[in-house]
Amino acid sequence: MNKVELAYFGLCSLIALLGAVVTVGAKNPIRGAMGLLSTIIGIAGLYLMLAAEFLAAIQLLVYAGAVVILFLFVIMLLGPSAQSKRDARGAVARYVGAAALLVSGLGAMALVMRTKSVTPTALPAVPPQFGTIESIGHELFSTALVPFELSGALLLVAVIGAVAVARGKQVDPTLLPAADAKSSQTSAPTAGQTKEARS
Amino acid sequence: MNSGLFLGLSPLLVVSLGGLLLMVAEAFSKRRVDETSDDRDAGPSSELSLGTAVTLLAGAVFAAAIWFVGPEKLEGASSVAPWVIVDRFTLFFSFVLCLGGALAALLAGGYLPEHRLDRGEFYPLIIFSTVGAMILASAGDLLSLFLGLETMSLGVYAMVGFRRASLRSTEAAVKYFLLGSFAAALLLYGGALLYGATGHTDLAGIREAIANMQPGKGSNFALVITAAVLIIVGLAFKVSAVPFHMWTPDAYEGAPTPTTTYMAVAVKCAAFATMLRVLIGAFGEGGLESWAAGWPPVVALLAVLTMTVANLVAGQQESVKRMLAYSSIAHAGYVLVGVVATMRAGGDAQGSVMFYLLTYTVSTVGAFGALILMGSRGAEAVSYEDLAGVGKRHPAAGFAFSLFLLSLAGVPPTAGFFGKLYIVKASIGAGLYPLAIILLLNSVISAYYYLRVMVYMYMREPAPGAPIAKPMRSGYVATALVVAGVLVLVLGLWPTTSLQIAVEAALATR
Repeated sequence: MNKVELAYFGLCSLIALLGAVVTVGAKNPIRGAMGLLSTIIGIAGLYLMLAAEFLAAIQLLVYAGAVVILFLFVIMLLGPSAQSKRDARGAVARYVGAAALLVSGLGAMALVMRTKSVTPTALPAVPPQFGTIESIGHELFSTALVPFELSGALLLVAVIGAVAVARGKQVDPTLLPAADAKSSQTSAPTAGQTKEARS
Repeated sequence: MNSGLFLGLSPLLVVSLGGLLLMVAEAFSKRRVDETSDDRDAGPSSELSLGTAVTLLAGAVFAAAIWFVGPEKLEGASSVAPWVIVDRFTLFFSFVLCLGGALAALLAGGYLPEHRLDRGEFYPLIIFSTVGAMILASAGDLLSLFLGLETMSLGVYAMVGFRRASLRSTEAAVKYFLLGSFAAALLLYGGALLYGATGHTDLAGIREAIANMQPGKGSNFALVITAAVLIIVGLAFKVSAVPFHMWTPDAYEGAPTPTTTYMAVAVKCAAFATMLRVLIGAFGEGGLESWAAGWPPVVALLAVLTMTVANLVAGQQESVKRMLAYSSIAHAGYVLVGVVATMRAGGDAQGSVMFYLLTYTVSTVGAFGALILMGSRGAEAVSYEDLAGVGKRHPAAGFAFSLFLLSLAGVPPTAGFFGKLYIVKASIGAGLYPLAIILLLNSVISAYYYLRVMVYMYMREPAPGAPIAKPMRSGYVATALVVAGVLVLVLGLWPTTSLQIAVEAALATR
């Protein structure tokens, strides 16, 4: 990796990581969505560096172009209620969890760094037409035909699942016992209670 | 054309095709949900439930047929390797998964109309989740493994949230979805690191690359270990091993009971199949399989924690459904003991794990099915009090529930007894005496909460004025219970044949 590549890698990673931090940490959901957008753009930049131009373009089109816009629509439809209230419950647990994750991440990184030269030689060299639409199409319909077909099943199940969840009835909160939503740990509903809303 | 290939993939193809046909049939069917009607046969369940069960059983029959032909004789079936591997291991799990799915579909045929959830989407979800589970069990490459995992999980997420009118069901679905996606992401991250370290995504190639690696400076061994940790954590989430079990009780309790059955049976079996394939297929060499520097102590720790925590907490539950959820976590712990034993005792131990999964499948389907049978519209049996005196008022239902609980507790002559026996035998054969002792102690603890259900059913009377559970009338649930009951007894009385089959299947991966 020469110096220009290294600088480009650092820039893209920085954009992606900062965006991720903003996504997780922002109180304002719009700001969170914008953070997600920046993460996606940073990752698209990294794909470019890996000679995966098609993937980078798709990343921008689908994620930045469609998914984030969809998020923004939903946030705007929800209006002010999309803003989460300050929630002090479980704050300690959250910080402990974040710290544990950080420590284990750093530990793994240290483990990898300690064994100095991680040789990238295991990976085969990239052919010149790698990452173009033609070569991806060729790959999809020859070597990777089976996973390609399997992803059909994945998409189908996702569509049916979306229909199944969307077709269900809406919740009528007046019919729910107040305890039901919160303390599923302790409350054991008995047969007589109509614990579920059946409006 | 290549008939061997199509025959080899026939369990997958038959189930997928049947699922597509049923979807078309549902779309053109006149049967629609009528929320006001009391006619339980009017909804789509009355035809789809049986169709789904038949489709999945056809998949199981095809798997059995290929078993007898011999998968190694099918020319061309290896052309889809390593994406999908057609061997005896795959066939065994295809059979178990299809059986579990078919029984869950029959339970749904009774449950959904009874509780006004009769929407046709449930059945394609079961079928295609099973397709995903079968892909997962047969995957010899991290890419198809991930695709199978996601196919299975997405269907199950939707099935958990199927009761949209219930906040609890929605909560369960969201919890399961978030944690499940997180686990899948960890697994994927581990796979990416593994590819970076070895240059392979197929399990055989990874194994070879790891075996040729010299631990120490200048090698990718640290990367491999990091990847192995991430992959084990991801799989532990899916089999709900402690401490990655937090989602399980809530998801199992909030989901409609047929979904819970399906999760406890098919999802868990498929996750264990993957675990065996990955731990033995990819991490079976190069020091990773050793007790000093590999996965066995990690998995052993998971097993001990899982068994002990789950059994202790299960005893304190007031809801039978939640108790069964914790019991399924505990059973995952017993299976993990067998998984640890596989690294020393080899094929026999792996066979005992697979036999255990079979016995666990039939016993769990039966236990949840009996719980479904105990409740009816507006009066779902959930807590111990609901079941008070049911055994006297409805002897057949009480007997069925008792049989399956005894099998889960591991009492002879039921299937569960031999399942546990072989796992204990395997762990003693591998020299893992502490694990075997902890397993036995835990099954003693577990007897407490299984027998408590029977105490309530036979020796308690409902308090005056308390709600009384009225068992539902459903031919589908009854059929599923009879099939599961017969299998529990057959596997308990004549376990050797099926154990031999399991061992033979296990040897295919070695």
